[in-house]
Amino acid sequence: MGAIGAAIAISAAACNNQTGFSGSVGNTPNGPKLPSFEILGTQGTPFTATLSDSRSSWTFQGNTPLAVFLCNNPSNAASLVATKTTSNNNLLSLEIISGNHISDLQSTNAPFGSATVQAAGGIGTISPQASPDLRIFLRGPFDEKYSALVEDIQTGFIINSRAPTLILFDTPNGKVDATFFGNQNFGVFSANMTLNGQVVINVSNGPNLTIRQP
Amino acid sequence: MAVVILRIGKAISQALRSIGRSNERLYSCLHPPVRLSQTLTEFFFDGFRVKDFFAYRTARSLIVPIFVVTCVLLGGVQPASAGKKAMVAVGFVGTPPPGFQNVLLNVQAVRINPNVNAGPSSGKWQSIPTPPGIGGKDQSAILQMDLNTSQNVPELFNTAPVRSGTYRTAEILLDTNNPGSLIQNCPQSSPIGDKNTDGCINQPIALNNGDVITVSSDAMGGLVAPGNGKVAQLVLQVNMVVNQAPTSPGGAYLVTVTLGVPPLNLMGSVSGSVTVKPGTGTGMGAIGKVRKLAVTAEDIGTGIAISSANVSNGQYNLLLPAAGGILASPFGFGTLYDLAVAGGDNSYAAERLVPLYPGQQLPPINFTVTGNQTLGNLTGSLTDKCVAGKAIVGATLQLLVPPDSNSTANCLGTPSERAQCVTVALANSDNAGDFPLPGTITIPSQFQNVPAAPKTNLNNAYALQISAPGYNTMVVQAKPSNGTGKKGGGMCAPIGSTTFSQCNLAMNTGYITDTIPIIPPPPGQTTLVQVFAEDHGTNNIESALSMPIVVRNSQSGPITFTLNVPTNDIIPQGFDLFASTIDLYQGTADPYPGHTIAVKSDVLGPGPALTPHACNTATPPPFDQVIDCVGHGSITGTVANANLGTSVILSKQDTDTGHSVQITNSMVENQAPASGPSPANNYSFCAPADTYEVQTAQIAVPSPSVVPMGTPTPVLNDDAVSVTIPPAAKVSGPTATPTAGGPTPTATSSGPTPTATPTVAPKCPTTCSNPDGSCPGICNNVFQPL
Repeated sequence: MGAIGAAIAISAAACNNQTGFSGSVGNTPNGPKLPSFEILGTQGTPFTATLSDSRSSWTFQGNTPLAVFLCNNPSNAASLVATKTTSNNNLLSLEIISGNHISDLQSTNAPFGSATVQAAGGIGTISPQASPDLRIFLRGPFDEKYSALVEDIQTGFIINSRAPTLILFDTPNGKVDATFFGNQNFGVFSANMTLNGQVVINVSNGPNLTIRQP
Repeated sequence: MAVVILRIGKAISQALRSIGRSNERLYSCLHPPVRLSQTLTEFFFDGFRVKDFFAYRTARSLIVPIFVVTCVLLGGVQPASAGKKAMVAVGFVGTPPPGFQNVLLNVQAVRINPNVNAGPSSGKWQSIPTPPGIGGKDQSAILQMDLNTSQNVPELFNTAPVRSGTYRTAEILLDTNNPGSLIQNCPQSSPIGDKNTDGCINQPIALNNGDVITVSSDAMGGLVAPGNGKVAQLVLQVNMVVNQAPTSPGGAYLVTVTLGVPPLNLMGSVSGSVTVKPGTGTGMGAIGKVRKLAVTAEDIGTGIAISSANVSNGQYNLLLPAAGGILASPFGFGTLYDLAVAGGDNSYAAERLVPLYPGQQLPPINFTVTGNQTLGNLTGSLTDKCVAGKAIVGATLQLLVPPDSNSTANCLGTPSERAQCVTVALANSDNAGDFPLPGTITIPSQFQNVPAAPKTNLNNAYALQISAPGYNTMVVQAKPSNGTGKKGGGMCAPIGSTTFSQCNLAMNTGYITDTIPIIPPPPGQTTLVQVFAEDHGTNNIESALSMPIVVRNSQSGPITFTLNVPTNDIIPQGFDLFASTIDLYQGTADPYPGHTIAVKSDVLGPGPALTPHACNTATPPPFDQVIDCVGHGSITGTVANANLGTSVILSKQDTDTGHSVQITNSMVENQAPASGPSPANNYSFCAPADTYEVQTAQIAVPSPSVVPMGTPTPVLNDDAVSVTIPPAAKVSGPTATPTAGGPTPTATSSGPTPTATPTVAPKCPTTCSNPDGSCPGICNNVFQPL
């Protein structure tokens, strides 16, 4: 116990030393707390999905599970429509988590079944495709908790989630960057950023990782 | 000692004061800061950001308190997994109330306790969380369970580690804010039906008996008694009774949910040994972490894992749901499984099983694998061969091996030959088309632990099957990397080739472009249309649009779509297409569409995969049928002489060709013996008001002693019956003014006459609106026995 405590004390001292710089920080004010759009179900179930806020929409494909965050949503309202792309009876479940509360939920087991969930009352219509369409995809490690700050030059958004995660940034002001923080045993983050469908940067590092729009 | 306690107490109080003075200062030591490209921002583990620093002073003042507090706290800490060496597999059997399309419960977890009268705060609860893919460890998530679909065969909830012992109490934990919902069929003369509300929509439930839902047993063996290193089963019967229908539109059903133990054993057991004989490879090499040796039961021919058991002391034991039923055979219907053996630095092994029956212990299924295999990676990327640079996202990659009992099966052969093989490793492509997705910290992806292929395999390679909706399923030869580096990605080659290169693969596709007439929605509303392509005359959907078509009021004329379809389709007649809508019901998610479904049969695809057909586009004549707002509808009925292989198909006729297009299917629910002495043998569909055909389909009863060659497919019976669901009476405009009267529901066979007289009209829009602002009111049900 003593050895553990001493090690922690040394670690604490060490990490405190790291914070020994000062200067102008926090130029980007925090954005609102983001809901998490969770696309869950039988592991590996393929789907296609469209997430829309009142200004933009994004279509993406993937496999369950996937957490999706939408930064810079102008009104908090959003709708997520997902369709299974497999003929089996695997579960596809959409959940919106706000804080620790599951605010909306819909599931389907039907072959190529669809489900819809809505945040903050949803939106009545699907908006035009996002332009620019900027996405950050965090690939792994699977199922490990991390925290992240995603920001443009105007606003920063805090994310607490697990990989894999898709982060969508609606109408960014300037370039976007993100920093992901894992714990000491987190392993290696692997992420890429796509702009209008093209991968613009691919990075891998751990337990922390920063990805910047070139 | 007193001095020590005093010092600890003083230090703790000092620490708390420090925390109280400045949370920011405390948090500042918990993460290194990051300077981003555009700002200088301090960001910490909880999302807290600061604009001023007192880091050095904070650090000095907190070292001692943190040390002391940490030591005190660590004294009482045990890892969450401490002592959890037994496993419990939890499954559910549903006993739902009649008259509902879906009976959904939002399950957060199941927990078990050794005490009969365990209180909520007992320290002895052991939790079984939602399974991986839903939530898993310490994650807020819900598994939505449909009691209707788990009436005949248990649905596995999850298998999780617990402490060994005898557990006498089990509790199901539902989401306290949203415990579940009911989707009732459209109203008719049912005592339960809520005639104030439309059918086929989500309606919340409120628990009449509170949210503590438990079952206890003081018998000697309790409810479940898992031993160290073993898996025990706990099947819970979840009963729901409706006490009161909603008293106002949008209100909740008052229900009572109870737990019980099913009187019959509904699971079967598979066990055996895995013998590891020494090999001559390099072992794990430089590949890093290694997966544990495990045996996984998969749904036959699919690679979908149902349950997995680690090999312990050379033995494994799996408990699996098993289909019973009294009409199929003396043993029941039986459930078909594959077993895949993978993990450690061992070679793969697989087996296909004879049917598993409830309460049955199959004779031991023993495997022999070779150890000390060189483990490597299989990595690469998938792109569209027709669109330069387009990544294929969410594709499924399967490594196939022949089962031990059919070791000559050709996993590189035709689809029917490949169907004889078993998936031993599975991966998916990510948003850039790269595969595999990473594993966890301790468990690498299955494609990051691939043993060298047996030397007896052609070219010392595995069969790798890649499938994605709308693309030609592709099979290549694949060799894992040789284990000399973590980043080695393996090599692939086309069938018949000996030239291997990186597994950067391009998949063929073709296109169907067509148009569908639609009545556009009123201004301010949109309609989402999804189009599906399925193999002609089957229910096997091959493709769907990657994004639904958004139809606005400004839409003039038919909508146009282009759908990816495979070009090597084995059904020569091509495809059947159908288009359905994704609607909202009064602004919230609507589980079933309210617009008509447009179908088109016998659509020739762009042709076989050989050049020049790949990447070609087929342009069949336009759809005749119009997508229009008609409101919900439902068909319910019973099926005579059904067994667990019987299902009911809902089809709609293409009036142009006279052929029917299969839209969806329903299992025959509530069968004996799981449902008790009075089985209902019922089926139900929620479908927009229209004319359909309902028809039974039958999967042949598996022979008890025969290992099947592949996944059995259902065969249609000659009993198609035409059923017309009349459209709902219209609600004229946004205010609640019901239109009197409406068409009388009809069915071609006898059955109770539906009653469709709403007492309260909903407000427009309901599931959709007409151009004049009116909308469908309360829907109609048709009863159709088969």
